[in-house]
Amino acid sequence: MKKLILIFSICILIICNGCNELDLAPLSEASDVTWFSDENEVEMSLVDVFNNSFWNEYAPLKFYFNSDDYCRRTDLRTLTNGTVTGKSGDITSAWNSCYKCIARANFLLSNYDKSGNIAQEKLNMYAANAKFARATQYSKLIFLFGDVPYYEVPLTIEEAFSTGRTNKVEVLKKIYNDYDFAIENLPEEYGSSEYQFATKGAAFAFKARIALYMGDYAIARDAAKACVELGTYKLFPDYETLFLAKTKNSIETIFAVPYSVEKNSIWISGVCKDCITRTAGGYCSCSPSWDLFCSYLCTDGLPIDESPLFNPHEPFKNRDPRCSATIVEFGREWLGYTYTPHPDSIYVLNHNTGQMVKNMDNRANSTWASFNGLAWAKHMDETWLDQKTDNDNIIMRYADVLLMYAEAKIELGEIDGTVLDVMNQVRARAYGVDFNQTSSYPVITSTSQSELRKILRIERRMEFAQENVIRYNDIMRWRLAEKVLNLPRYGMLDVDQLREKVVNQGLWFFPETPPIDEDGIADFKPLYDAGLVRILAKRCFNAPQNYLWPIPSTEIFINDNITQNPGY
Amino acid sequence: MKKNDEILWLYKSCRKKIIVMRNALIILLFGTFQVLATESYSQTTRLNINMKGVTIKDVLSRIEDESNFYFLYNSKLINVNKKVDLSVKNEKIETVLNQIFDNNKVNFLFKDNHIIISPKETIIDQQKKITGKVVDDTGEPLPGVTVVIKGTTMGTITDFDGNYSLSEVSVIATLVFSFVGMISQEISTEGNNILNVKMKEENIGIEEVVAIGYGTMKKSDLTGSVASIQGEEIAERSPIRVSQALQGTTPGLMVTRGGSAADASASIRIRGITTIGDSNPLIIIDGTPGTLDWVNPNDIESISVLKDAASCAIYGSRAASGVILITTKKAKSGQLKMSYDYDFTIEKPTRLASYVGAVDYMKTQNELSWNDNDNIVNNEYPIYNKELIDNYTNLNAEDPYNYPNTDWQVLMLKDYALRKSHMFNLSVGTEHVQSYISLNVDDTEGLYEGKDYDRYTFRANNDIKINQYFSAEVNFNALYSINKNPQTTQFGKQAVVPGPIAAPIYSAEWPDGRIAPGKGGENPYAILMHAGNVVNKAGVFGGKGQINFTPLNNLKFSVAYSTELFYSKTKDFRKQLNYTSYEDPLNIKGLISNAETTRLDESRDDHLSTTFQILSSYKKSFDKHQIQLMGGFEEYYIISEDLGASRDQYSIKNFPYLNIGNENFQFNSGSASEYSNRSFFGRVIYDFDNKYLFQSNIRYDGSSRFHKDCRWGLFPSFSLGWVVSEESFMKNIKGLNFLKLRASWGTLGNERVGNYPYESTIGFGSTLLFQGHDVVSAQSAGLSKYTIPDISWETTESYDFGCDIVLLDNKLRFTGDYYKKKTTDMLLSLEIPNFIGLDNPQQNTGDMHTNGWELSIGWSDKKGDLRYSANVYLSDFKSIMGDLGGTEFLGSKVKFKGSEYDEWYGYKSEGIFQTQEEVDNSPKLYSNTKPGDVKYTDISGPDGVPDGKISNIYDKVLLGGSLPRYMYGGSVGMGYKNFSLNLVFQGIGKQNSLITQDMIRPLQNYWMDVPAIGIDKNWSHYNTEDQNKKARYPRFSTVSSSNNYTNSDFWLFNGAYFRLKNINLGYNIPENIVSKLKLNSIKLNANVSDLFSIDNYPKGWDPETSSNYWITKSFTMGILVKF
Repeated sequence: MKKLILIFSICILIICNGCNELDLAPLSEASDVTWFSDENEVEMSLVDVFNNSFWNEYAPLKFYFNSDDYCRRTDLRTLTNGTVTGKSGDITSAWNSCYKCIARANFLLSNYDKSGNIAQEKLNMYAANAKFARATQYSKLIFLFGDVPYYEVPLTIEEAFSTGRTNKVEVLKKIYNDYDFAIENLPEEYGSSEYQFATKGAAFAFKARIALYMGDYAIARDAAKACVELGTYKLFPDYETLFLAKTKNSIETIFAVPYSVEKNSIWISGVCKDCITRTAGGYCSCSPSWDLFCSYLCTDGLPIDESPLFNPHEPFKNRDPRCSATIVEFGREWLGYTYTPHPDSIYVLNHNTGQMVKNMDNRANSTWASFNGLAWAKHMDETWLDQKTDNDNIIMRYADVLLMYAEAKIELGEIDGTVLDVMNQVRARAYGVDFNQTSSYPVITSTSQSELRKILRIERRMEFAQENVIRYNDIMRWRLAEKVLNLPRYGMLDVDQLREKVVNQGLWFFPETPPIDEDGIADFKPLYDAGLVRILAKRCFNAPQNYLWPIPSTEIFINDNITQNPGY
Repeated sequence: MKKNDEILWLYKSCRKKIIVMRNALIILLFGTFQVLATESYSQTTRLNINMKGVTIKDVLSRIEDESNFYFLYNSKLINVNKKVDLSVKNEKIETVLNQIFDNNKVNFLFKDNHIIISPKETIIDQQKKITGKVVDDTGEPLPGVTVVIKGTTMGTITDFDGNYSLSEVSVIATLVFSFVGMISQEISTEGNNILNVKMKEENIGIEEVVAIGYGTMKKSDLTGSVASIQGEEIAERSPIRVSQALQGTTPGLMVTRGGSAADASASIRIRGITTIGDSNPLIIIDGTPGTLDWVNPNDIESISVLKDAASCAIYGSRAASGVILITTKKAKSGQLKMSYDYDFTIEKPTRLASYVGAVDYMKTQNELSWNDNDNIVNNEYPIYNKELIDNYTNLNAEDPYNYPNTDWQVLMLKDYALRKSHMFNLSVGTEHVQSYISLNVDDTEGLYEGKDYDRYTFRANNDIKINQYFSAEVNFNALYSINKNPQTTQFGKQAVVPGPIAAPIYSAEWPDGRIAPGKGGENPYAILMHAGNVVNKAGVFGGKGQINFTPLNNLKFSVAYSTELFYSKTKDFRKQLNYTSYEDPLNIKGLISNAETTRLDESRDDHLSTTFQILSSYKKSFDKHQIQLMGGFEEYYIISEDLGASRDQYSIKNFPYLNIGNENFQFNSGSASEYSNRSFFGRVIYDFDNKYLFQSNIRYDGSSRFHKDCRWGLFPSFSLGWVVSEESFMKNIKGLNFLKLRASWGTLGNERVGNYPYESTIGFGSTLLFQGHDVVSAQSAGLSKYTIPDISWETTESYDFGCDIVLLDNKLRFTGDYYKKKTTDMLLSLEIPNFIGLDNPQQNTGDMHTNGWELSIGWSDKKGDLRYSANVYLSDFKSIMGDLGGTEFLGSKVKFKGSEYDEWYGYKSEGIFQTQEEVDNSPKLYSNTKPGDVKYTDISGPDGVPDGKISNIYDKVLLGGSLPRYMYGGSVGMGYKNFSLNLVFQGIGKQNSLITQDMIRPLQNYWMDVPAIGIDKNWSHYNTEDQNKKARYPRFSTVSSSNNYTNSDFWLFNGAYFRLKNINLGYNIPENIVSKLKLNSIKLNANVSDLFSIDNYPKGWDPETSSNYWITKSFTMGILVKF
């Protein structure tokens, strides 16, 4: 018996020897202790700082929703109907994505040099890129939220809970410091086999942008000028092609988020369908607003209410070329079909088959066709019909730098030839001509600060329509939001009334020309009072409250040091 | 027979097995008719005993303890309470026995170390032969029943088929039938030559043996809180999933169904919620951690639910949320049984919500749009003009394709779904090997096209007895399932779900079967019917080997090794779908949303887990003391790997294989993880005179999830029981059969926080960057999660006080428990400031408290041929959050200091704004609020007083718990001759439930359908003032939706319900018919599940409907044939 127990015990001991290991390290992840051991690892961490999700502002063709350029039938969003709170998804995701990028940049900046086997020059380049990223994200934060928590090294939880909001003026100084380091250490260009991180030009341009947004016009001017003087960037010759999916990283692009259908990275789903016209198989639910349409100048450089060239019944005629590059002209071939929202155009031509097909882009045939008759053209071509697209999401381009330079100079009252030159360069490119061919486009010649300010603002609107947050940021910083986002959004009458009051009276498309005010804003109230147009949606912007976004509610709930912005 | 109030102690087994093993032994003894063994153990063993003033019973137990002798006697025939003095030295057993018994009155029968003591025969007069058959309650033959002629030693034992035959019985004699666990019966032979007997179980409930951690125990000896559910109770409901069938079986178990789909599991919570993290109970299947839904319900012998810390502590670190022990069936010795069971089920949704037709839809759409644009006069038809609406019915009749009125739900849902199950069982038991083999095939349909779940399960449990010292268990189980689902629409949802689908004004299909555009390409019907499917095939292969070594009668060692391989592959094939216009079949008009390209995503997951156990146990009894010791060691390890691969842009749609896809669009992924733990554990059970019971468990656990300095956790428990009814002063109370008081304390752990919570890890990914003008994918690496390196165990400390009472001749049983649990160092995903820029870390922070109670009352009796029983239970708990280390879980349901777990949180409503004046003079949440919107109470402001506006910081309050309260359930069983009827009901006494937007909100996402119950109870400009005052729901508005549908008590209602869970009617075909068919028995079953419920839910919504699938009522017909 005792022998048996002994044998049994020995067996158990033998089996026990095969004990499992309890010190297990992750199998498909790396440890942070040993990371940054060589240049490869530093580079991989930098790539993470440039993760696409941190750089879209905040997803292509999404954020322009909040500006007066946009119309989606009768719908409004929280930022345009006055219901935004610290829990709104747009707010929290913007906040989180900025800080996620900052955390990654700080993590890299605190560790990148610990291996000791990377050349100083390379190290500086990595650090400069991280600082560029940090500065750019903080720029977004102070513009949208005002004072925000600022830090430069990874935070512990205890530190974070004792951190409050830093005055945005202080943050701005740090941003300039980071950009200055970046300018010092970033290359003007990357080699053709290198990843294209931020360039020196990008650092200048983004520095100019935040300086301009915050009213530091001299800094904005100098930074924009320095960017121009690098000579690295040029205006892309063709305005329309610049935005198409086939144009990748053009000479005009200073900073862009790349996309690739083949690499499974596409613009947010639904964008294509929302923008494609209905006859071509889309919803056409996202349209340019009438406000935007009316803001395009005529080819004589005058607003539509002043120009003799404007005919409200042929609203696309004699307009700045960017108008039809941005908005689908009535009667043109668009995505294989003739586009027209005219209620009596029951059938339209299928240009591929030569047959007439039912026109789904008027509300006579299709209840949900564009409520204001307009459809987007910018960014789009036939490749969008596959419902996926991979256009570059251009965050900063050379035209912006030129117009920022001009704006800074105008605001500083330093109106000289360079101001007019750069504005004319941008405008001439739209006309497809050199800016010296002054007879081929409406040259800007005014030297009055107030006139130029108005011209510049309209120029920016025409140039940057549908490009991310640019229009939204512009109306916010110009304090125009309280005006334009409290104007109703207008559209066509319902089909029966439209036929009766507009079409049959020979008044299609615009029954009359709406007056344009000193900010370039069209006023449809007279038409509405005459019963010729209808209100699609009533927007609501509460000033001054909505000029700053609310701090995300969770930050305030868990941390006594974080205060909310006024009014929320 | 050995007196049956002794603890039947056997490692990991169940009551029936014990009975059968013993009786098999007796068969063996009598069958061989060896009266005296020759040179056997009894001849060679010598005993030394010195006892004074003790009963014979004490002497016998002493001999059993000190030797391998084992006594069998019937205490009604042998007086073992007689006091004797005994002093022997180095004597044979025979001598000893002769000394303590009066030699003239008893006979001894020796077989090896087994000794049967029986009375000596008396004088016999006239004699005859008696034969008969002994069966149990259910009509099953009982082998091994002792049949003795009263007052003699003459007797026999029933054979495998329960038959016996006794010759030379005096004409007037009494036969005594006895069997362990059954009530002995005495029947006169007068006038009968054939005596068939049905044995009845003794003291059901109290004498029951239940599985506890690493062992079994008589229920009457339990000091912890353990509920036991018999396998038949589960199988009777013909479920596909065990988790779903546990609903309403025992108090303290909260089962939340995720719909009735065959592939949907139910969530189980034992005694409330003790942690914010993972609150799933630990599932142990035949001693090994497993997955509940991988067990076939028909293979279950019994389920034990370990509820309190005292019972769970033996599982230490993983048992904080309770433990469910499943014991699968085993064959019995001397058994040869085969059965086949076929079930056929029809399922229908319990309720279906209805949606409005085209005309009402358009009116609603117009009204909503009109409301959102200031209700401008003459603009009442902003979207659909009046003429169209007025004529729509006619237009639809003339031209249903251009003017559709589609009922998407009717189009997509089948009227019923079928389910078929085949079950085959084989039990073979010989003296050395006992095998239970089962094979089950389930074929279940879903309520819509393309949903199908097939499952094959196999189990073989083998017990092998090698010799007196060694025995072994070898078990295998396998499961293979094929789960098919149609493709999903947006957000990964199925095309058809409970809730609004698409609007009726869109066509799903043209008359020639072509795909219609639906709403401009949003066509859930097309997705359902044509867009391909997702097929998951999963296999589980498990095996267990165990060797038991019993060197002494009361000492046992065992070593077990089990392993489980899980393998799953999913093929997600989505096909590109085009739609065409009604008029022009040739002209492709566009792509159906979510079916824009043909794409195949394949994934493979596998994991391999191993469990290794060593157990030892020892028991000792002396005088009135009994001690049992158990100690063990266990190790668990699991490694998981997954792999994904896909290709996109297939040019052809009929080949769901990767090699056919476009090589330019291929993607893949993979990852792996592993986890291990190691434990030492032990148990002491002490019992004094069956009156005072004590038990202590301890477990020492180490987990790979924590840093080695924080890795080990110690989890002790203690429990006491006092069987008051055994006290002499209680003995005479009439009607009281049993009364026990219990108290327990213990701590348990939880460590389920992901596999590497303490390690800061660099996660890999990729992002796109430019390289020149090319777009390339660049490898990225980053720290994404904040980590706290000294993270360790979460601990739950719990107390339980309970009592068990049996009254009125064991007819009435009562069990009550009160418990209190406190969780500390809770593992939470700590809400850190988002500006840290890292995901929230897991941390030991916070505590919560749960109090609750449980009651259950049962009655069972028999009147003539009518057997009946009823059980009712009621339980309640409340979980209150303690300090969560500053963390708050906000949203519509919150968890923060002082709140209940998942308590509703939102505004207090004051009805609906009726006039603009009222709006102007009231605090508002949003500036664009209008009459017809929900009005809220201004509770406070920044200065602690109402500030004239509603803000999400100052005006939200706790609105009451969201969890069910007063959960009740019960069953009523009746049997009459060959019929049996069982009813099971279940319900909730009180619950704050929410009217969800799916139930009531029209036009979600602008184009979803309009629930029919909403449209005439809403506030509207078209209503009279009076109607508006009575309006139940706010006006139609998208702009005000964030005001109106935000969380508030406006949408809460009492979701209490009573549900008739199950009705089961069984009929045993009479034996004379069955025997002609050469069968053993045939049973017909009819079963109805979820027939109806009584509740306040909005029309068309079942109280348990989930967002994915309906609750169905099912009608099952079954036939069970035993060969």
